[in-house]
Amino acid sequence: MSDHKDVRAILVHAARDEARREGSRTIEAEHVLLALAAFEDSAAARLLADAGLTEDAIRTALEQEWEQSLAVAGVAVRAGLLPEATPDRERDPQIGESTKLMLRRAMDAEPKRARFGPMRVLVGLLATDRGRVARALEAAGVDRAALHAKATEALAAGTA
Amino acid sequence: MTELVDPGDPAAGLAAVVALRRLADRLEDSQVERAMRAGWSWSDVAEVLGVTRQAVHKKHARRLMAAGVALRRR
Repeated sequence: MSDHKDVRAILVHAARDEARREGSRTIEAEHVLLALAAFEDSAAARLLADAGLTEDAIRTALEQEWEQSLAVAGVAVRAGLLPEATPDRERDPQIGESTKLMLRRAMDAEPKRARFGPMRVLVGLLATDRGRVARALEAAGVDRAALHAKATEALAAGTA
Repeated sequence: MTELVDPGDPAAGLAAVVALRRLADRLEDSQVERAMRAGWSWSDVAEVLGVTRQAVHKKHARRLMAAGVALRRR
């Protein structure tokens, strides 16, 4: 596999594509999660898939989270039936707050000196019970805390 | 599927705020596109949205031109 700088660049690039695709002005944690799930040959993507979180399953879960959160406000929407907008392919989405928090949590995860790879990103993504990623996982019936523990263990064991 | 709906829970209420913003953004993008494809002017779209013509143009013109929408000048 490529070195850690490449891994980060690839992830950010893929996450930016995800953000652009849905018309988002910022790259949020959920875009990084989708990019990570699609990141071939990584232990992090395998760990997600083992928990049922393939790229498609994550998209479905995020859509459910959106619909359910709208329902809290009394808005009944079927996300799949909403009119589509042509995405702006030139747009350059900036790093959003949820991604900044994720990166900080990933950097703080032990062992701190180990390289910054997909598993560290996954640990950062799963380290909070707030936000769309946590809520989407809950909607999908995934035990986020248990998955976080597994990812933390893998990181400690030297899995990048 | 686990239900997240709990109006008494601030986490659900705050998530609803985020969800509504996403919905508004998505609707704005799709409906401005629909209006411009139907031949509306930027001024008309701006008036309905309650923003300036410059604001709506700045936000959507590049995307719609790239999407091949024939845009009116005014």
